[in-house]
Amino acid sequence: MNSALIFGLLIALMLTGMPISIALGLTVLSFLYVMTTVPIEAVALKLFTGIESFEIMAIPFFILAGNFLTHGGVARRMIRFASSMVGHWYGGLGLAAVLACAMFAAISGSSPATVVAIGSILLPAMVAQGYPKRFGAGVIATSGALGILIPPSIVMVLFAVATGGSVAVDPEGKRVLSASVAQLFMAGVIPGLMLAAMLGGTTFYRAWKNDYPRMTRATWGEAIKAFRDSIWGLALIILVLGGIYSGLFTPTEAAAVSAVYAFVIAVFVYRDLNWSDIPKVLLSSANMSAMILYIITNAVLFSFLMTSEQIPQAITAWVTGAGIGQLEFLLFVNILLLVAGNFMEPSSIVLITAPILFPVAVGLGVNPVHLGILMTVNMEVGLCHPPVGLNLYVASGIAKMGITELTIATWPWLVTMLVFLAIVTYVPELSLWLPRVLGML
Amino acid sequence: MFLRILDRLEEILIASLIAGATLLIFVAVVQRYAVGVPFLYDIFYDINLTWAQELCIYMFVWMAKFGAAYGVRTGIHVGVDVLVNMLRPAIRNKVIMFGLLAGAFFTFVVGSMGAKFIVELYPTDQVSPDMEMPRWIIFLCVPLGSYLMCFRFLQVAWSFWRTGELPHHDPGHVEGVVESPSAARDLAAEERGR
Repeated sequence: MNSALIFGLLIALMLTGMPISIALGLTVLSFLYVMTTVPIEAVALKLFTGIESFEIMAIPFFILAGNFLTHGGVARRMIRFASSMVGHWYGGLGLAAVLACAMFAAISGSSPATVVAIGSILLPAMVAQGYPKRFGAGVIATSGALGILIPPSIVMVLFAVATGGSVAVDPEGKRVLSASVAQLFMAGVIPGLMLAAMLGGTTFYRAWKNDYPRMTRATWGEAIKAFRDSIWGLALIILVLGGIYSGLFTPTEAAAVSAVYAFVIAVFVYRDLNWSDIPKVLLSSANMSAMILYIITNAVLFSFLMTSEQIPQAITAWVTGAGIGQLEFLLFVNILLLVAGNFMEPSSIVLITAPILFPVAVGLGVNPVHLGILMTVNMEVGLCHPPVGLNLYVASGIAKMGITELTIATWPWLVTMLVFLAIVTYVPELSLWLPRVLGML
Repeated sequence: MFLRILDRLEEILIASLIAGATLLIFVAVVQRYAVGVPFLYDIFYDINLTWAQELCIYMFVWMAKFGAAYGVRTGIHVGVDVLVNMLRPAIRNKVIMFGLLAGAFFTFVVGSMGAKFIVELYPTDQVSPDMEMPRWIIFLCVPLGSYLMCFRFLQVAWSFWRTGELPHHDPGHVEGVVESPSAARDLAAEERGR
């Protein structure tokens, strides 16, 4: 009864279009004043301590690191490197777009920014080479989403944060801790590469069937020069993954180090940024981080309310009682997240749903790392379809195409993504193999 | 005039906090490894940076509270606008106004809760674990930030009432991107020329 009221109120408030953080906070407030016995003071304290954790602070650092390298100059280097590698195959520029999007999105951490940075350079180039505009727009709108699966990924940090405090019990009755940021980052590597390969495969197949133009093969000299140019940016991924894996730093420290590294690369090596641009980058990073931290604060309040109302436990008991198996449950999770992706942006979805789904999933024997990767892939799909897929909106801006036309244009790649989602859902080893081999699981 | 100063102060505060926190953690990591190098040992041994993590957290909490207020002004706090956008303009404006006032109301309540909390905390001598800073100073960001955010919501509501326009954040903004057809032609010509 209470849970129906809580969710009903939350959904009603959200549908008025007010910021999601405010809707979460107001739900908690009104529920507390009217319904429950939880002391208001306990909640007030949560407002202050909700984000007092060093782990969460990885988010502003990663955003800052990404913003230093979110620059047209970096995008051009990635494109040159990508096209020197794969440009001479069928659909050369299309394949280069997938590869360049994967690299730029991983470094910049922003899917819409990737679509703009890569798209505004490659899309006109593709049209000039005789590709249909739809093909180019479709490739770029979907490939831009690759970034949240390839570490460093903010969505994964959010998953770790949202599930970090909760206690879950697996089918054998053992207590299970949630996934750490380090485990999730490692787990994302193979699915990330695989999705890039699958999107590339779709691009190649369609280009081969329609005989789209190829580029002349780049000479070794050109390829090496392009590689030397782009390696400085790509080294950020190696710095983060290597630093965390070797135990040199914690994920948050890795994020801070990568922010300083990104600054040095952008200002002294690439020279894309002038000193006078720095305040603007700092301000926009602070703006973005504060927005996410504010949602976290209110999401913490909300999950505190749910825990005190024992809602996750009730759902877990109901699911196990109804004899629902892992297979059905994961299917349900996918559908729920895909539907939610129609209305909300990734960080809010993860923060609201992860604390509820986590104990249920663990109760059915799903590994927390697997759940985290699965949710991340769902968020990627949500970015690429209407009505709120951000990638579609920015892509429609640069391609000067309507949302409907663009939706049709993206479908081959969107279907590829859904097939990939099914694979990730039902082949847990895809996510769990690498962290296990590295001894992190 | 007063508003311009407030805007500028807000921007300077959050930008310096994020820059400061980054440098702080970077220096702490460097120091940890520099101590391990024999000839640097003497220089770095005496520097104690165990408080760095704590300070970093507090800097970011402050940045989050004031940045959230700044975010109202830049329109970065997004909600679910699918349904609202389908409504008739007259009703849509009312719903949006309700959302803005609800934001102002919520932040006002939180600010007041925070203020009450500080008043209760002030006479106690609670200090933070590492830096031993009085806790009421650390928590001061909650009432200050929330009241500022409340003010920003009212400001946005007022200008929406007058002009019908909301601040809008562009998620796909990238510096240094050439969106000109000539640049694209150059790139294509470069490819053909090879």
